[in-house]
Amino acid sequence: MEKSLFRYIWTHSRRDQMIICAVVLASLPFYFMSLDLPRQIVNQAIQGEAFREGNPTAPFLNLSFDWPGWLGGGTWEIFEGFQVGRVGLLMGLSFIFLFFVIVNGAFKYWINVSKGVLGERMLRRMRFDLFAMVLRFTPDALRTVKSSETATIIKDEVEPIGGFIGDAFITPVFLGTQAITALVFIMVQNMWLGLIALSVIAVQFTIIPRLRRELLRLGKQRQLASRQLAGRIAEVLDGIEVVHVHNAYGWERAEIGHRLFNLFSIRLKIYNRKFFVKTLNNFLAQLTPFFFYAIGGYFALRGTLDIGQLVAVIAAYRELPPPLKELIDWDQQRLDVQVKYDQVTQHFAEDRLGPLIEMREAAEADQPLVGALVGEEIRVAGPHGDLILEGGAFAVELPGGAAASLLARILARRSLEFSGRIRIGERDLTQLPASVTGRRIAYAGVDPILFPGSIRDNLVYGLRSKPLGRMKEDRQEMDRRIAEALRTGNPIESISDQWVDYERLGAKDENELDRILLDLLDKVGMGDTIYLFGLAGRIDPERHASLAERLVEARHRLRDTFQSNGMADLVEPFDPTRYNSQATIAENLLFGVPISDEFRGRNLADNAQFRSAIDRAEMTDDLVHMGLQIAETMTEIFEGLPPGHSLFEQFSFIGADELTEFQAILRRRGRGEGTLRREDRTRLLSLPLAYIEARHRLGLLDEAMMGRIVEARGLVREVLEKAGSDGVEFYDPQGICTAAPLRDNLLFGRVSYQVANARARVGEAVAAVVRELDLQEEVDRVGLEYQVGTAGRLLSPQERASINLVRCLVKRPDILVIDGAFASFDEARSQQLMQLLLDMFDQQSLFMVLPNDRQAGDFDVQMRFRDGQIITDKTAAPASRPSKPEPDAPQRIAGEVA
Amino acid sequence: MTLETEVQSLRQVPMFRDVDPARLKLLAFTSERVQFADGQRFFSQGDPSDSAYVILDGRASVLLNTPGGEIQVAELGSNALVGEMGILSDTPRSATIMAAEPTTALRIDKRVFLELLAQFPQMSLAIMRELAKRLERTNAQLVAQSSS
Repeated sequence: MEKSLFRYIWTHSRRDQMIICAVVLASLPFYFMSLDLPRQIVNQAIQGEAFREGNPTAPFLNLSFDWPGWLGGGTWEIFEGFQVGRVGLLMGLSFIFLFFVIVNGAFKYWINVSKGVLGERMLRRMRFDLFAMVLRFTPDALRTVKSSETATIIKDEVEPIGGFIGDAFITPVFLGTQAITALVFIMVQNMWLGLIALSVIAVQFTIIPRLRRELLRLGKQRQLASRQLAGRIAEVLDGIEVVHVHNAYGWERAEIGHRLFNLFSIRLKIYNRKFFVKTLNNFLAQLTPFFFYAIGGYFALRGTLDIGQLVAVIAAYRELPPPLKELIDWDQQRLDVQVKYDQVTQHFAEDRLGPLIEMREAAEADQPLVGALVGEEIRVAGPHGDLILEGGAFAVELPGGAAASLLARILARRSLEFSGRIRIGERDLTQLPASVTGRRIAYAGVDPILFPGSIRDNLVYGLRSKPLGRMKEDRQEMDRRIAEALRTGNPIESISDQWVDYERLGAKDENELDRILLDLLDKVGMGDTIYLFGLAGRIDPERHASLAERLVEARHRLRDTFQSNGMADLVEPFDPTRYNSQATIAENLLFGVPISDEFRGRNLADNAQFRSAIDRAEMTDDLVHMGLQIAETMTEIFEGLPPGHSLFEQFSFIGADELTEFQAILRRRGRGEGTLRREDRTRLLSLPLAYIEARHRLGLLDEAMMGRIVEARGLVREVLEKAGSDGVEFYDPQGICTAAPLRDNLLFGRVSYQVANARARVGEAVAAVVRELDLQEEVDRVGLEYQVGTAGRLLSPQERASINLVRCLVKRPDILVIDGAFASFDEARSQQLMQLLLDMFDQQSLFMVLPNDRQAGDFDVQMRFRDGQIITDKTAAPASRPSKPEPDAPQRIAGEVA
Repeated sequence: MTLETEVQSLRQVPMFRDVDPARLKLLAFTSERVQFADGQRFFSQGDPSDSAYVILDGRASVLLNTPGGEIQVAELGSNALVGEMGILSDTPRSATIMAAEPTTALRIDKRVFLELLAQFPQMSLAIMRELAKRLERTNAQLVAQSSS
């Protein structure tokens, strides 16, 4: 990026800046006119100067210009105007004034909008440029760059710069000319008053920026400190486990507290300084009117200045301070954002960035990577410049145990810090364009990196190299999008386009790709997990149309299976006319699944619509009474357990920290304080909503009560529907409920808490019916939509590793580099996976770093490292797999490396 | 049947006789009431011990694996506690328990049980007292056997 902010702005927005400037200049004459008009209205129309010599009429719209005395004097008449009377002149001048007000307003509007748009465009460009640079950070730089700080920079720190860009050139031009116009106007009216105003302005412009220099220094400190604060918070959050394990709360609290104190101190200094400067500035600005009143008044008394002139001068001066003040502010802002810009560019300094990512499509080079893999004179230098690797073909010398892994990283182009050459056939590995290596080499390291999104999104991540341009987009909207992108140096590709080339993978469409993904997941042993994810997932009737259609059929089939196998008591079905004792009272009242948060959990007790419905059903008192009983039991049996005990979380209706509050409610009631308070009633009401008779067994519900709850269902639904609320999706025995998980849609009921081993038996029955109806693949496809969470944290390490592996496999790479990707699997599982990979990569190459010798048997080429040197380089009989390129190279490092 | 009746049943179990009523209620509340069909197994010999059961209603047979097949060595009725030794000593099930008729039992989860013991020493003491009594009885039986 350009070193200077102004150069950056000028390079990218020259045209827009100049257009806006031109309009600003064009608006000035109008502005000037509007300044002169009040004087004319007072002097000529009201005081009647125009009619002084007894003229009944005076010229209106007389366009003439009086040259000031020091330019030789005289009048330049352009249009002699209409002759009008006094009232006519007043009205005419007033309407002209109104006209100029409107014109000036229109100019201001256009200029502000254009400036804003310009600023937003430049902000977009700048953010994108910075992000493009993020992608270019060298591995070296990445060791010191903190992700959260970088995010703060791109999101927050450039924001004021973007806001400033629209003002960068225009504001000084606009406000400067305005100020000069006003000043010239004052000068024209009275030389001395003009000189006074000018000298005060000169003082303002010399002193204030000087005082503000300190402010800038503080501002810089503040920016760094708050950026570091953001970085620190992210660090603590990322390493929260260590904080918990080592009980470092106190230290972390003090650490952040200290930072906040520093930040506060800096800001305090800034405030003191800022308001001092502001006060001084205001004082100077008010000094001029003082001179005007005193000196101008004196002249007026002496008769050398007419009152109209003085009024106009003061009016003009009133116009002067805002532009001046803004101009000084602009100058302050300019220095401020220049400092910010410098800090941002420092973060993205050239020496931290790798070469520009080549986007060129090297079509001729996109050939399969076949041929002998040869390394020549590879050398790797250590971090302190000591030479730690040298020798001939594949002679690697390294301290520590990283030799094999390093070689793997070099092969996968993860590490570029080596000398020597690696060739594949005739081609140099390091010279291949990223488009080729990205497609033909896959690397699975120890740490499976997943992005938030569905499992499917993560699996196809490696397939999204470029869009195929098959998107149907509204022509107009597309033109607008592309035009904006071109204007701001952004990419013109749309993410709604189809990025995955199905044909290349041998799939016809999305469904077939899903099939390939599921097949691979199944092969690496994640099939059952995906099925379970599918059952827990939600169906989208549009995406999973065929599944949605057959779901009700499957539901009936499942019911029949239960009936015929004597398992009818395992699941209590949802029945619109019966109470389901395996479900909560809330669920029984709603007979549906909440969609919005205000109907979920305890919020329901606070929901006005729900409350009015149960009021109408006359259930509120009963529910509150149940709440009292629950609170009594809970406070009795959970008393004495320390807060935070796991039993609370698992079993209690009441959180440990609420226990005392409920005890207080019970005490208030025990003392006979009459009716309960409103908020107490709401809290009590929330308790029975989560009550499941079969599970909690407090004996709160009898047949009559259950019957009344079933009756209240209709009322609840009626009230909610009448209020137009879409917070709840109601159950329909003949339809699907998209808000409920697939499993619930299949069962359409609740598994009994009372029957031993019910869950497992129901699970088996469901699996059998799914298989029978051939729905397994559909369910699995729902499972592909399972959200993996931030960095895949909603998955187990094994699941993450499996997905990482499948992401590599689905690319069908020519070379697959496995470097510790099996670390989270036990030995039996990794042995299976390795066999699988060996079978799959019969025609391609597999390069694998192995933890021990036992698994090395089936590889064609084996390398062993000791002290960083390759000690054996065994090549299996080439007859066994003649067509295969050689780099099937397991390497042993454990225990042998110094 | 409600929590109260379960607490009554627990009270009949010698091991829980001296435990504070509020604690027994907590124990009952954190346990699950499950029904077994006639012939359904609570658990089989050799399974990992993950829970203990108190029979609330019905009967269950205690079966041992022998070279000649499973043989019934005892029958348990209402208020019998079974499987508690396994979760205390962390050993696999030493026998198979099978419902001899439709049976309702209270399933006490091992983790919850141990946590309650850790939290309330008075409960642990009651259990120890009961175990000591059992040991005493076994010793007495051994003496009786060896003298006869």
